[in-house]
Amino acid sequence: MSESKSSKSSSNLNPSPTLQCKDLHEYLKSRSPQFLETLYNYPTICLAVYRELPELARHFVIRLLFVEQPVPQAVVASWVSQAYSKEQNKACEALSELSVWQEAPIPGGLPGWILAQSFKKNLKVALLGGGRPWSMSSSLEPDGKARDIAFLDAYALERWECVLHYMVGSQQTEGISADAVRILLHAGLMTRDAEDGSAVITRAGFQFLLLSTAKQVWLFLQHYLHTAEKRSLSAAECLAFLYQLSFSTLGKDYSTEGLSNNMLVFLQHLREFGLVYQRKRKAGRFYPTRLALNIACVRGGAAPLEPTGGSKHGHILLETNYRVYAYTDSTLQIALLGLFTQLLYRFPNLVVGVLTRESVRQALRGGITAAQLIHYLEQHAHPQMLKSETGGIRSSSMLPPTVVDQIKLWESERNRFTYTEGVVYNQFLSQTDFVVLRDYARAQNVLTWQNERTRTMVVTRAGHDDVKKFWKRYSKNS
Amino acid sequence: MGPPKKVKKNDGSKSGGEKSGKKRKIEDDQTIDLVDDDGTENVDVPGAAMQDAEKMDQVPEDEFGAKDYRSQMTLKVDNTSRPLWVAPNGHIFLEAFSPVYKHAHDFLIAISEPVCRPQHIHEYKLTAYSLYAAVSVGLQTVDIIEYLQRLSKCAVPSGIIEFIQLCTLSYGKVKLVLKHNRYLVESKHVEVLQKLLRDPVIQQCRLRRDGDEDLLSSVLPKPDSSKPKVGDDKPVADGSVPDDISQFYQQLDKEDEDDEATDISANTAVAFEVDPDKIEVIQKRCIELEYPLLAEYDFRNDSINPDINIDLKPTAVLRPYQEKSLRKMFGNGRARSGVIVLPCGAGKSLVGVTAVCTVRKRALVLCNSGVSVEQWKQQFKCWSTADDSMICRFTSEAKDKPMGAGILITTYSMITHGQRRSWEAEQTMKWLQAQEWGLLVLDEVHTIPAKMFRRVLTIVHSHAKLGLTATLLREDDKIADLNFLIGPKLYEANWLELQAAGYIARVQCAEVWCPMTPEFYREYLIQKINKKMLLYVMNPSKFRACQFLVRYHERRGDKTIVFSDNVFALRHYAVKMNKPYIYGPTSQNERIQILQNFKFNPKVNTIFVSKVADTSFDLPEANVLIQISSHGGSRRQEAQRLGRILRAKKGAIAEEYNAFFYTLVSQDTLEMAYSRKRQRFLVNQGYSYKVITELKGMDQEPDLLYGTREEQGMLLQQVLAASESECEEERVAGAEGGTVRRAGTLASLAGADDALYLEHRRPAHHNKHPLFKKFRY
Repeated sequence: MSESKSSKSSSNLNPSPTLQCKDLHEYLKSRSPQFLETLYNYPTICLAVYRELPELARHFVIRLLFVEQPVPQAVVASWVSQAYSKEQNKACEALSELSVWQEAPIPGGLPGWILAQSFKKNLKVALLGGGRPWSMSSSLEPDGKARDIAFLDAYALERWECVLHYMVGSQQTEGISADAVRILLHAGLMTRDAEDGSAVITRAGFQFLLLSTAKQVWLFLQHYLHTAEKRSLSAAECLAFLYQLSFSTLGKDYSTEGLSNNMLVFLQHLREFGLVYQRKRKAGRFYPTRLALNIACVRGGAAPLEPTGGSKHGHILLETNYRVYAYTDSTLQIALLGLFTQLLYRFPNLVVGVLTRESVRQALRGGITAAQLIHYLEQHAHPQMLKSETGGIRSSSMLPPTVVDQIKLWESERNRFTYTEGVVYNQFLSQTDFVVLRDYARAQNVLTWQNERTRTMVVTRAGHDDVKKFWKRYSKNS
Repeated sequence: MGPPKKVKKNDGSKSGGEKSGKKRKIEDDQTIDLVDDDGTENVDVPGAAMQDAEKMDQVPEDEFGAKDYRSQMTLKVDNTSRPLWVAPNGHIFLEAFSPVYKHAHDFLIAISEPVCRPQHIHEYKLTAYSLYAAVSVGLQTVDIIEYLQRLSKCAVPSGIIEFIQLCTLSYGKVKLVLKHNRYLVESKHVEVLQKLLRDPVIQQCRLRRDGDEDLLSSVLPKPDSSKPKVGDDKPVADGSVPDDISQFYQQLDKEDEDDEATDISANTAVAFEVDPDKIEVIQKRCIELEYPLLAEYDFRNDSINPDINIDLKPTAVLRPYQEKSLRKMFGNGRARSGVIVLPCGAGKSLVGVTAVCTVRKRALVLCNSGVSVEQWKQQFKCWSTADDSMICRFTSEAKDKPMGAGILITTYSMITHGQRRSWEAEQTMKWLQAQEWGLLVLDEVHTIPAKMFRRVLTIVHSHAKLGLTATLLREDDKIADLNFLIGPKLYEANWLELQAAGYIARVQCAEVWCPMTPEFYREYLIQKINKKMLLYVMNPSKFRACQFLVRYHERRGDKTIVFSDNVFALRHYAVKMNKPYIYGPTSQNERIQILQNFKFNPKVNTIFVSKVADTSFDLPEANVLIQISSHGGSRRQEAQRLGRILRAKKGAIAEEYNAFFYTLVSQDTLEMAYSRKRQRFLVNQGYSYKVITELKGMDQEPDLLYGTREEQGMLLQQVLAASESECEEERVAGAEGGTVRRAGTLASLAGADDALYLEHRRPAHHNKHPLFKKFRY
């Protein structure tokens, strides 16, 4: 008799953790202290970090900024009344996490706090001036062909939608650079198709598409920075430059003079994604766009960039007969819809599609979950949907409940197998051996499946050791 | 000299168009429940009607596989205030939330077929038939195009304009009128009549009497210019506000009335008489010549036929939609022939009764079963002043004296009966044939095959025909025939709107998924198709679900009907649950008794019925319907069955739902696919089906049957032992002439056990020359 272990792990069936969009604080928290140390060599980063800190923490930083020795922790604690100890703890934690201050013993053995040297120095520079001038700020002659804000917005959107288009796989857009594709793949937003090697969108990618533009850009850049070293760029330098950009003024042009070669390369990348506008590669000047400016305010409600479809008010009408009507002419919106609907007609300002079992299954196969689909439809529901009575069945959703149910059922019909880990016992030499072992396993209540004809049985993982011991005893005795 | 050939613009595409007409929706074998009449297909359809706007669009598909119409449709600046998109393939999308929805809706109903009407955006389709109907209710080509142009968000594609012109220009010009018991072909356009008369076939059909050599016209036709032209005097302001739209609509309305006035006062039409025996021929010929004959009846000026003394009772109040449908029928003071489509339970009979009372001439009502004959009589007595002496029933059970009666109610099969009749019936038939009927009311008009229908029309001479139905759809797509046999569709109600207004019950539709038990599923996978069907119907989980639902609703005090097409299952379920059941062989008396008990006996709350109860069993009390087996993917059956519980219940608006429609399906079987197909019609009407995968409280319910493996095993044995014939669905008597082989004793053959020996001959197809087969039968 042999036993073969065929443990089926169910982990690959479980949905991957949801896509997280970290803000700057969380991003930095996850970096190594060494990285932070290099980062704090840039005044812009220091300023950005300072702005991101909780209010109380900012207060602490200012009070400590000009203190050269460590300050006892008890003193810091005394700055805040007991009633707000919770806020105080949070602030202290944040400062420690970001290595803005370090613990340092003061003479007498009491624990104390001291601001990190580089942070202290560069924040002073940022706040008080001095140091090397910011390379960008060098004055320029007025641009003969100055670009206005509307133009920049349009440009930024067009470039950014190019990336999104590539993700949803609409062919009409010109491709994006191989570099960008690598970032998408690295970020797990897309994956190579097993068959033809083409890049296809993943579950995370779909979630990504549902984020606001600012969040998308920030998330994308995070992954860019992860891979920055491979391009022989310094992540710290890039991040510093990004934040420098975020402090610039929209609609103003800046000179490329004084930028290192690395940064010029980085600038070209940013140009591809629409964060900066440059007329020519060698123009010597560039305009930061809203995408770049919004980096610093991912968390807060930044002035959002209107997508071309004007989706501020939802545009999708979902009917009880599974029809989907979308008031849009944005190819991106349509491509998104095309991921899970079968589109029938396109009119100048309307797309008509229908949710079919096939089209939804197609999306589900691509790793998109029913919940995501429903969420997307809800998020973009046309104002008319809000008014509609939901066919009598009370529900929190404004979508027709039957359609929502059906989408969920389509998902659940894919998961009708239940997986149990187990161990196969087969190739018994005699029928009696088989029967004895089977009956034992059954008595122990660990038998999952058995077939007398082929003398095969499956025992649960938990029961395996017990059955194995029994079998050893049994074969010894006989 | 051959018949004048019309050179058509799209001669090249004609063969393609013809094919599309013939194109069958290949549903599946099981859905062909209607008698097929292949031989006669398409003969009654004019060439223009073969046009299919669907064919016209040769557009590139975009990268998502959608038809890309962006290049053909230019968006108007003020598109937000206009409610429609008109696609180049004839589909029209209407925003139901637009402020001008009401106008647009009325207009679209007149010119196009509704495809789906859920809550927000409705889809319609322009077809040759729908345009034909539009013309016959008095709309003009220019008006249709103009109004469409105004309502549309985009410029109407030129292909669509051509299509409308092609389909409407020649329609509605020629009318077939029955005057003084003479059939006349009448037209306001002399040139059209002259053209028709040049045709040799029509010449043969023409009946010349002494004295009238030429066209029968005392008054010369007025020149066309007298007709008010619309749109000419108005500046076509494209940037006009929706104000304009409503103005235009009012104008259209007014014109309809004007039309009426002129029609009555100045009968300027010319006409020629035709041989009554050759009506079919001339109708067909005119259709070939692209001048379909419209049938209208000027009943007010008919002094030959005596008026019958009938009026609506003052208590009979018409609902707005009933009134609207009748307005379409009597729009110009004459009775137009056509079909009115209203949901079941929305008061079709009242429309029929009112129509009869309006015409006030002898009326013949045809329905499809003896039970509904009784119900029609009831309706007449309920709504009108007619009494027993005026109403004559003519069925195999009840034969009243026809003489002197104003209204005759009978069934289709009585009229078309091919075999020998009793002397009494023979007399009635003779009388019936000799009469000139004012109005012919055809109930459940979708159920009768065109063949049978033609027979009716050759036997009965009537001035006007009114078809009534709930679902103008057939799985075999032959519904088009009706357009030319009866007339165009005059009105079709929107189910959701009637429901919202409380005229029909608010129904919660649900599909209950019953998992197959492992034993049944194993058998299901290996058995033949007939057995498979029985297996999924007899699935123990389904039985338990059914039993649970029946009990649940009995406790609520509801009246429940359980439908099963499969007789084996019907009997088994009913006997096991100890409930009364009705199916084909149940005698008329027993049926009525069961129905009476169901209505009035508080102890009988649930009955089991086979598909004999699909149509026109009026059971106003029932508010729960459970379907355990059904007829393949028939959308019509689904709608008809829903109709059984649609009649508005008391306190209709107070409650959220007051009727429930359950379909029990066995999971992972063919039934799932069927059920999806069946639901399409109702889903397109805006109904939504809730899928129930688990009935709440079913595990707590005590003593449901078939809970144990043993019981289920026994049931499986019974199912497997059932004979082939028992697996099949019930055949409705009369619809199909199948023979049944039964085992019997010699004694019963000799006359014992009340057995009768009868010889049947197959009704049609016997020694008929193929040439004659075509039209008469």
